[in-house]
Amino acid sequence: MAERKRVEVPEGVKKKEVSGVPESFPFEISPMFEGERVRKGDMYVELGGPSQPGFELVIALPKDQVEDMKVTLIGPDLDEMEEGKAYPYAMIYYVAGDQVDNDLEPVIERRNHDFQNYIEGYMHLNQRYDIWIRISKGAIKKGLKSLTEIALATMFLFKNELPFIEKIEAVYITDKELVEKLLNEMAMPIYEERDARVEQLHDEDVEEFYSCTLCQSFAPTNVCVISPDRPSLCGAITWFDGRAAARVDPEGPNRAVPKGECIDPIGGEYTGVNEFAKEESGGEYDRIKLHSFFEYPHTSCGCFEVIGFYMPEVDGIGWVHRGYPDPAPNGLTFSTMAGQTGGGKQVVGFLGIGIAYFRSKKFIQADGGWYRVVWMPKELKERVLKYIPEDMRDKIATEEDAKTIEELKEFLKKVNHPVVTGVVRPVDGKKITEGWKEEEEEKVEEVVEEKAEEAAPAEAAQPAAQPVQQPMMPMQPVQMPAIPQIQMPQIQLPAAGQQPGIKLIIKDAKIIIDKVIIRGKEEKKGGK
Amino acid sequence: MIIAVTGKGGTGKTILAALLTHFISKKTNNVLAVDADPDSNLPDALGVAELVTKTLGEIREVFQESRDDMGTLNKEQWLEGKIYSEAICECDNFDLLVMGRPEGEGCYCFANNLLRGVLRKLMRHYDYIIIDSEAGLEHFSRKTIEGADYIIVVTDMSKKGLATAKRIKELSEELELNFKEIYLVGNRIASKEAEETIRKFAEDNGLKLLEILPYDEKIAELDLKGLPVTLLPEDSEYMRKVKKIADHFIELSVKAR
Repeated sequence: MAERKRVEVPEGVKKKEVSGVPESFPFEISPMFEGERVRKGDMYVELGGPSQPGFELVIALPKDQVEDMKVTLIGPDLDEMEEGKAYPYAMIYYVAGDQVDNDLEPVIERRNHDFQNYIEGYMHLNQRYDIWIRISKGAIKKGLKSLTEIALATMFLFKNELPFIEKIEAVYITDKELVEKLLNEMAMPIYEERDARVEQLHDEDVEEFYSCTLCQSFAPTNVCVISPDRPSLCGAITWFDGRAAARVDPEGPNRAVPKGECIDPIGGEYTGVNEFAKEESGGEYDRIKLHSFFEYPHTSCGCFEVIGFYMPEVDGIGWVHRGYPDPAPNGLTFSTMAGQTGGGKQVVGFLGIGIAYFRSKKFIQADGGWYRVVWMPKELKERVLKYIPEDMRDKIATEEDAKTIEELKEFLKKVNHPVVTGVVRPVDGKKITEGWKEEEEEKVEEVVEEKAEEAAPAEAAQPAAQPVQQPMMPMQPVQMPAIPQIQMPQIQLPAAGQQPGIKLIIKDAKIIIDKVIIRGKEEKKGGK
Repeated sequence: MIIAVTGKGGTGKTILAALLTHFISKKTNNVLAVDADPDSNLPDALGVAELVTKTLGEIREVFQESRDDMGTLNKEQWLEGKIYSEAICECDNFDLLVMGRPEGEGCYCFANNLLRGVLRKLMRHYDYIIIDSEAGLEHFSRKTIEGADYIIVVTDMSKKGLATAKRIKELSEELELNFKEIYLVGNRIASKEAEETIRKFAEDNGLKLLEILPYDEKIAELDLKGLPVTLLPEDSEYMRKVKKIADHFIELSVKAR
């Protein structure tokens, strides 16, 4: 972990120290000023921004290392700055309190933006190493003299609004050399550490998940549940975004969902999520497993970036993203599948996800994760390649390897994909599929020739007349997913001549037919 | 004060929006001009096209593409920073925001929700916001722009222009924009007879007739040369009449305070 320690003030650098909240500030403080823009022409000075280095950082320290409500300014103050110029700017806060730990640092830090924008004539933009501040001429005219006043006002707001902060101290720096040095040596390692947390933080590490109901106008029963291991379907919202939004507006579209008890750690089922789902969907469904493809999958709104589809013929899962226009090996395009799946339904056999979910360590872990994935468009595969386990990278087909189920089968056999011999899910080492049954799988080509006069005229819809290929579905009964009913076209043959002909109805079937040739007796002579 | 200038394409609404911005920003710098019509070109009409670097739509696209790699950054702050620094163009006397193309495919619920929040906070700080909006009022129906205090519908003598004006009136009521007044401005009106038609139309449809603007061949000339419409001579009838409209709104704004 990156080290947290007080800034050492180098020798010979100008330094100013002030303690305690003054009786009044020479500026107004109110949320009303949020969003206020200081235009270039009205600007006294710019701090940080496009031309100068700058950063803001909150670090947690032990209580005895923090001097409450003290600010140290290192470098020139406002009255020593030239109007219209830009200067380097670092704002470092030390915070302490019984509940304050490293996890809270970013939560506190992002409030710096809010609180500083409460200050009239002070514009704060961006975050971390991108901060950009403008102080208006008006503020100077009203009596603002020192950045220490800004620091004290900000600390006052921090303590007021976030009572768990027991002590807070600020170090503001306008000395270029020191700003650059601390940015590289102190701040960057901490920011990087935080971002690494995104991938290290898991569902079991937190108490709350977050909901998102932004899409309910399109899909009234849809509830996105956003957990550290499962970002939103639209790909836009991570658990961290959910937390930030829920703190700002607890009754807004992103609300906290206490996760409750864990019922199924592998599938990702929680009592809190189930209760929430039942409530929010109006009782439409009452169970959701966050990391399952087949059992109580997450609902799909319509916003999802990628759709997963089960292909029983190979007992594997394919994924296709919105930007891929051609049909997937199952013969359906993204939009066709999206049309069937969207609308906030729990559709077994299809699953909408955000691209970021491919990064998750729990990516459909109940169903074998990457080891169950057989196909994705090349573009998508390349985008997520580094998240695919190395031993699977060459085993997942793209449109260059396979465009049809037949080609896909050949490919999977060639590369010896786990689905061929049986998938062992990495999460618990359990073998969840048995692999293809070779003898049934041989010779899949089915040419059906039905001649009307050969078919039994009376009981036409007999199984004998149905060219149904027994699909190789070698899974245990429990794992057997119910395939959604894809509406098969009813093939109805008109009676040929005087003969009654046959009626062929295919229902709920999993069929591969390369060719169906139906000929009438008379037509044969017609030269066809 | 939010003033939405709208009307059928080609009726001259962008010219009016540009000239209102021109006149009002002579009184105060606290003006935001918004180009909310991807088909028109308010920055050209104002003569500031080369200052525009990015549209709001382009920033939204960058957001959609880079959001997966933002780690624990706050996305609203990210978006706000981009909008403030790249989408808002600082002109001498006013700010300009170009909304740009409508969104591409995929889900924009979250991005638009953030945008709404940022724009709401931004817009409340301007004394005047002048919006050049296409007739479908898309940004209003999507609530990227929350509402308008005054709507100006611009029409020429064409039947289509008038039909669109009527539709805008209905639409703006449906959208519950909470406007205080909806005005009609006749543009390029060259005959007494046409003027009468416009007057009657306004009366019949519950629109308040604000002004009848004449045909000015200089406008077409400037347009042809790619020069901003703000170069029209201040003493021309056209400019005097638009100035009167601008003064009307300034007066309303002062009264409201």
